[in-house]
Amino acid sequence: MESIDLFGLREHFNRSRILLCFNGPISRSLIEEIGNALKNYLQADSVLPSAAMDVFSAYVEMTQNIRHYALSRGYDELDSSATIVVARDAEGRYVVQAGNLVEVRDGEALLQRLDELAKMDKAQLKAAYKTQLRQPRDEDAASGAGLGLIDVARKSAQPLAASLVGCSETRSFFTLRAVI
Amino acid sequence: MNALTIEGSQSTPSIFADWDLGRLIMQGDSYPENSFEFFGPVIDWIERYLSESAAPFDLELRLVYMNTSSVKAMMDIFDLLEDAHGRGRQVSVNWYYDPRNERVLDLADEFREDCSFPFEIAADEQ
Repeated sequence: MESIDLFGLREHFNRSRILLCFNGPISRSLIEEIGNALKNYLQADSVLPSAAMDVFSAYVEMTQNIRHYALSRGYDELDSSATIVVARDAEGRYVVQAGNLVEVRDGEALLQRLDELAKMDKAQLKAAYKTQLRQPRDEDAASGAGLGLIDVARKSAQPLAASLVGCSETRSFFTLRAVI
Repeated sequence: MNALTIEGSQSTPSIFADWDLGRLIMQGDSYPENSFEFFGPVIDWIERYLSESAAPFDLELRLVYMNTSSVKAMMDIFDLLEDAHGRGRQVSVNWYYDPRNERVLDLADEFREDCSFPFEIAADEQ
């Protein structure tokens, strides 16, 4: 087996200003632990408490969405894997990205929804958020019922960017990116 | 029977309810994966208090970060208070926030927009 080039990986992380990354099956406790590391990092970086909370919030909503989705689709541990990266861009803003496997059709519906959100200004996003908050809870949905995406969109400095990469006939890899 | 105490954790707030005082306090971060399940006992307690007692009720909040599913559960709680207020009950919310974090003020303020009962938001200088 070819050995993994750790130095190259490190150089790549540094060049891309990646502060934190994770790839693998994600659990409730891992979300908390990684979140804790992120919080500590932001605190050490003297980020304003309100901005730190926005970054933390984007991270929590994205990772919990991945968990809820994988559970709702009955994915096994491997298919429930999440890929999470928190980095800084050239302007020093925080970039929170998360990716996971989805059913092709669900991925397309997500892109369409994000396309709608991208066209909204902050006031429209707030109205959409309040409308969604008033939607009756699905009987089997434990989550915030679609509020998460709108919430992340409201906190993002630019429209959320999303993409789909086909993995098989039925699965795609979905990526979401927020800039805080 | 009438007491409700839930110890806080990293992702859930500490909760303390005092029936005799007519007060329920929540403090800390709130981002459980299943907020509906977590807040169930809290919602039950408030519902029972409002139906069995005629005394005033005060909800004291020192919440910081809330995920969207916690926001949704909190909305259900405020709806209960709004209904009670509509029936002439004396209910109030007092939300204390750390003045260094204005995001908590934004969050509390957005809740208050949809409530007509007394809802105070105050900087906690402690």
